[in-house]
Amino acid sequence: MEAIEHPPIFHLPGIPDHVTYTWLSMIILTSVAFAASRNVRLVPRGLQNFLEVVLEQVLGLIDDVIGHNGRRYLPLIATLGLFILTGNLMSLVPGLVGPTGNLNTTAACALIVFVSYHWIGVRKQGALKYLKHFTGPVPWWLKPLMFVIEIISHLARPLSLSLRLFGNMTGGHILLAVIFFLMGFDGLIGWALEGSAAGVVIGGIGGLVTTVFTVGFLYPLKILVSFLQAFIFMMLTMLYISLAIEEAEHH
Amino acid sequence: MRRSLILGGVWVIGFPELALAAEGAPTAGSWIGPFTVIAAGLGMAIAAGLCGLGQGRAVAAAVEAMARQPGAAARIQLAMIIGLALIESLAIYTLVIALILLFGKGISFA
Repeated sequence: MEAIEHPPIFHLPGIPDHVTYTWLSMIILTSVAFAASRNVRLVPRGLQNFLEVVLEQVLGLIDDVIGHNGRRYLPLIATLGLFILTGNLMSLVPGLVGPTGNLNTTAACALIVFVSYHWIGVRKQGALKYLKHFTGPVPWWLKPLMFVIEIISHLARPLSLSLRLFGNMTGGHILLAVIFFLMGFDGLIGWALEGSAAGVVIGGIGGLVTTVFTVGFLYPLKILVSFLQAFIFMMLTMLYISLAIEEAEHH
Repeated sequence: MRRSLILGGVWVIGFPELALAAEGAPTAGSWIGPFTVIAAGLGMAIAAGLCGLGQGRAVAAAVEAMARQPGAAARIQLAMIIGLALIESLAIYTLVIALILLFGKGISFA
């Protein structure tokens, strides 16, 4: 995989690239938030307006999924969503490395979600009562079996969260890398520039087609997938939190 | 025609080291390599095809529901997008396994 990916434009010695670019995305997010909230106005303008619209969308989603008392989890959910969105979009800029294209970053995010929804559930209903809800509404002789199954399904959640994000991003990167490899100076365009007649015709047409395909289809698709995956991550976080706190009302 | 294709496939799957022998110098037990490539390709093909079937059913049902109740289109679209992402993640798991098979350095059964 390293053979077809280009190296990033700057590289701190001794530090893995995804950590460096995680710091870069943290710097971007922090400076945007600082610039937006430096002088907060009652009637928002410019950057503050934009960020308020974004956060109000997230608040609307939280109201839909968790309910009105879920608004206190906005910082966790919106931070995860904005960080993942920034990471996804950073990987589309040539020369940068997307932090979410590495399994370590996505696993860290998923583990944060895993620990925090259990913590929220335990805080909300007490440890013993929370553990009791793992057994579900079944007769008593089925409860040990249900408990084991529920534990496995809960352990599968961070796995699926991290692998979904990582796989979507890395799959897209490999697709783009293969298309660029096919298109570039070692591939079709290089063949066209060589000067032979067949090379100019086939390589020129092929290079044009792959360029149009990349710019017109693959890049918009990748941008859509970036937004969608950040959205899905936020959505599933809300769903897990709502499942952890909602069961208190049913029983 | 079909029988010869199946026989050819069985031959390639059964004896990949024969196909490699002409190119020379596979070390002893290195037929794991060809098997991983076959497994990655076949697995990804099966996963992509079935994922397409599932997503097609989901989108068909969602579009039908949206056509019947245009008022609820936004909520149906939200549910559809979440469902599509969850279905797609199953194919993504196969992609991850294929990537592990193709690029993982830790696998050495031989």
